[in-house]
Amino acid sequence: MMEELLTLNVLLKNELMTTVRLATGGVCSLAGLSLDGSEDCKVCVTESLLLLMHGGYPSACVRFCTDGGLSVEVTGEGVRRSLREYAEDEISVALLNALTEGVNLQKEGGCLRTIGFRFGNGR
Amino acid sequence: MDDKELFERYRETGDLALRNEIVEKYLYIAAVLAKKFVGRGVEYDDLYQVASLALMKGVERFDPSKGLRFSTFITPTITGEIKNYFRDHSRMVHLPRKVSELRLAVRRAEEEFLSEEGRKPTVRELAAKIGAAEEEIVRAAEAGNMVSLDKPAEDEEMSLYDVLPTEDDAFEQIERKDAVSSALRSLDKTERALVGFRFGEELSQTETAKRMGVSQMYVSRMERKVLSKLKENLKNSMAD
Repeated sequence: MMEELLTLNVLLKNELMTTVRLATGGVCSLAGLSLDGSEDCKVCVTESLLLLMHGGYPSACVRFCTDGGLSVEVTGEGVRRSLREYAEDEISVALLNALTEGVNLQKEGGCLRTIGFRFGNGR
Repeated sequence: MDDKELFERYRETGDLALRNEIVEKYLYIAAVLAKKFVGRGVEYDDLYQVASLALMKGVERFDPSKGLRFSTFITPTITGEIKNYFRDHSRMVHLPRKVSELRLAVRRAEEEFLSEEGRKPTVRELAAKIGAAEEEIVRAAEAGNMVSLDKPAEDEEMSLYDVLPTEDDAFEQIERKDAVSSALRSLDKTERALVGFRFGEELSQTETAKRMGVSQMYVSRMERKVLSKLKENLKNSMAD
């Protein structure tokens, strides 16, 4: 059964990334992920936030749920300021796919709005 | 010349100047990915070197006719190599050679499968590709999982670090041996034979099945039953 562990509402600013990474590490530990899995999860959360930041969102909601593993959903919040194309975004998406079991990308108005991914408890 | 043409020309001619052109063009991906993994105990320069070598290997393997973009193809390849590097250079406990070799073979097969099929292989597919038993693949994969000492211990409010014994004193060893012997006495002859093969001689389930003249499935089922019986007995003896 899906159990919500933590929800973070965070402004999309570079200086807050370390805070989010630390919180993610704690949640991964609670969910029973290995060290490798925790590090990978931190990278995925950071990449998701960067994707939304590049998409112009001022803030994001990061929701961690446990279901035998760890499911994470990162959603852009607020009124989008601008839209810029970043070459690195394609690499970020490929990296998410390389590190997690299944990435779910949801778009709104042609732009990325929600990024979901999951880590099994064997990670 | 566009990317597709560049790769096709390189595959046709093997011209090193073309390869170098491709590598230089995509070297930024190696730099970007190396930066993502900084802070895990390996210097950026080392990561960049690993990523660059992976990029070069990826250029050799990339087939533009499969319709995948090079950046999409190369990202998991570089990521995989970086993660392998972490595993090989930050492992505190060394795995037996056979297990390490199998893990290496599994990783290579996984990469090959991903590049050929565009998805990760199942355990069965990996076993078929490598020519090993499914059970061995799972065991090799499990051997790579490290657990954080900060992870909460099962059914405990403390972390693993808190509950790990500081010193393995003699009294504890005797007590443990006694508890195990007593738990083993509760098993019948066949169950004890299984424990001997699996945990004494460390045979695989398939090998154990051969020795006992039964199927691997039977061994698997019996092992689950025996372990749960032992666990229950040990729990009761600890409570006493």
